[in-house]
Amino acid sequence: MRIKRFLAVLLALAMILATAACTKSDDSTNSDSNAAQGADNNSAASGDTGNKAGTGDSASTEPVKLRMAWWGSQTRHDRTIAVIELYESLHPNVDIEYEPMDFDGYFNKLATLVASNEVWDIFQLGSNFPTYQSKIYTLNDFIADGTIDVSGTTDAFLRIAADEKGNQVGLCSGVNTYGIAYDPALFAAAGVAEPTENWTWDDYKKACTTIHEKLGIYGSSKFDDWQAGASMGVNQEGFGIGFFNKTNDGLGFTDYKMLSDYLQMRADLVDAGAYPDPGACQEISDIENDFVVSGEAAMTWVASNQFVSLCTAAGRELKLINPPRKSANGPAGVSIQSSQMLCVSSDSKYPAEAAKFIEFFQSNIDANQILLAERGIPTFTAVREALAGNLTDIEKAVYEYVDVVGAFDTGGETVNPSSPACTDTIKEQYNYYLNKVIYKEMTADEAAKAIYDFAASQF
Amino acid sequence: MSKKINAPDKSGRTPWNRFVYNTNTVGYVFAAPFIIGFLIFTIIPMLSSLYYSCTDYNLIEKENWIGLSNYIYLFQDPRFLNSIKVTLQYVFLSVPTKLAFALFIAFLLTRPSRLVSFYRSLYYLPSLIGGSVAVALVWKELFARKGLINTNLAALGVSTINWFGSMTAAKWPIIIMTAWQFGSSMLIFAAGLKEIPGSYYEAAKIDGANGRKIFWKITLPCLSPVILFNLIMQLISSFMVFTQAFVITAGGPNDATMYYALYVYKQGIQSRNMGYASAMSWVMLLIMGVITAIVFKTSKHWVFNEAEG
Repeated sequence: MRIKRFLAVLLALAMILATAACTKSDDSTNSDSNAAQGADNNSAASGDTGNKAGTGDSASTEPVKLRMAWWGSQTRHDRTIAVIELYESLHPNVDIEYEPMDFDGYFNKLATLVASNEVWDIFQLGSNFPTYQSKIYTLNDFIADGTIDVSGTTDAFLRIAADEKGNQVGLCSGVNTYGIAYDPALFAAAGVAEPTENWTWDDYKKACTTIHEKLGIYGSSKFDDWQAGASMGVNQEGFGIGFFNKTNDGLGFTDYKMLSDYLQMRADLVDAGAYPDPGACQEISDIENDFVVSGEAAMTWVASNQFVSLCTAAGRELKLINPPRKSANGPAGVSIQSSQMLCVSSDSKYPAEAAKFIEFFQSNIDANQILLAERGIPTFTAVREALAGNLTDIEKAVYEYVDVVGAFDTGGETVNPSSPACTDTIKEQYNYYLNKVIYKEMTADEAAKAIYDFAASQF
Repeated sequence: MSKKINAPDKSGRTPWNRFVYNTNTVGYVFAAPFIIGFLIFTIIPMLSSLYYSCTDYNLIEKENWIGLSNYIYLFQDPRFLNSIKVTLQYVFLSVPTKLAFALFIAFLLTRPSRLVSFYRSLYYLPSLIGGSVAVALVWKELFARKGLINTNLAALGVSTINWFGSMTAAKWPIIIMTAWQFGSSMLIFAAGLKEIPGSYYEAAKIDGANGRKIFWKITLPCLSPVILFNLIMQLISSFMVFTQAFVITAGGPNDATMYYALYVYKQGIQSRNMGYASAMSWVMLLIMGVITAIVFKTSKHWVFNEAEG
């Protein structure tokens, strides 16, 4: 009996130890790599104060483990992974763990990683970077000490990935702009004239309803409502007017009615069956299964760099045009911007190694022959020239479109590369009120006023 | 047995040995894995969420103490009130459907047949896999505009239903999915049915009671304690509905399926209002506590207890 009980206690203890070991397993792998990197860490730690850990480990051949994540479509995942493998083959001591994700999942995960101080060493951000500024390891020192060579790009391209104080928050992965991809054959079949640079939202609405009536399909697929109706929509009201002001500490417009036309139009189009209802929009998970791909819609909203994926998935001829304007002679509202950038996290143990990878990713010609400008037109001159030689017709169309947008009259205004930290919350509320208008629980005017008041209350 | 702790020690044990061989020690050591897990993964997170619910924590910046503002704002938030409304609606539609279905199948499977255990396993399967994302994705395809359900409706000449585009229709695919996972309730019902003494049925038959009367007068009252148990368990799990709504409808259209847990997630993770989401979770605990208490209180009137009866 006594022996039995002793055995039982022993077993129970073993079980406790086992569970303790399980819960700690995550940490132990980290501390293992910590220990392995002990010597290296010392140099990094001493460099941390001066913020130039770079020089220390640049020649190091000790194993380095980096984590990287990004959002995007399958094409982007495949190409990015290929570049990571290329980098690993050139730097056998570097091991990069990657996490390809979709947009929502990416930012949900990022939020939790920020809270637990475990942000990926290399991560992707857009104009929403001010939200995560505390987690960004600025690249100024790496540029100063030559870890990142920026001689191949221009100041203008560097500035679109920097904050207003001149901190280089990342390196731009490419420039893009928003546009409308449309299927000329469907337009012709419905007897609708193809859109021109000066087309207006009225033209768009008419095209949608006519195509729906003639062909029984959606005139238009899912738009980025926040961009189309608010961010870009307000820009279209006049030069120098924007949803947020230039310093990102308040709204940049005073008349809430600037928001109401778009809300009303969206509700009317859903009513008419010319635009997918919210349930149908739910069926679109990414650009590759957009209704344009299946021929169920004649046009859709894209970022210019998505156009290639869209055309490849559709397998038909599609064309690219700027979004409709509020008035034929008014501002186009769209502008060239950094589509996204790669940043180094301040949680990283090897910021210099991460920075070196980012430089490789953005400026290496072999790497970009794999990436093929899928994240936007490259900002390094040599890369752009190397790619220019063998562009497909689709890629050429994207380059031409970006040139067209670049030539639009901006009234001398420059683009603000960042948006305030509360943008996500306001965007969420915008979509909430838009649904209220679609389901007739609010008028467009009431919703516009509510959105304006909510946005103003965030500052 | 060495139960008497202070008894003189015949075998000359040291205090350490006495401690190790003590029944209480053994008990606590065995319970330790659970106690440690419960403290680390339940109690500590709960207490920290109680603290965060009085702050404006947003995951990124250091939190500020804001008192009860989150709780006060909750009741001015129309989206929150709507989430309570749709969640209650979901619970009151899905729980009775699921339990009725589970009882019906359990009743059918009481017939003596060799295939009973096979069928039981078969019907239990949805309970095992039903909560998964994969099944939710299948459901989304089934009820899509051109999915299997609508294709069949069209083939039958019935007008198709825009399941996820209509605010009234969107909840049904989710309710049906919940009811489909009736397996575990069914097993518990089946066990309860077996416990009812056959002599009751024999006596009723001799008195000339028909099948329906037997069910209402004997089966249901004798089964009522099991029904109470299933009811409570299902109420609680239904209030926490998340995966199905998250994957299938994402809360839409127009918040028609923006269930409580989903809204907590949306506020906490997507909009990074962790403090607000924590406050919401505590209100949910309160609501569930009240509803469970009401069920228990009223159960005196409808649960048949043999000890009293």
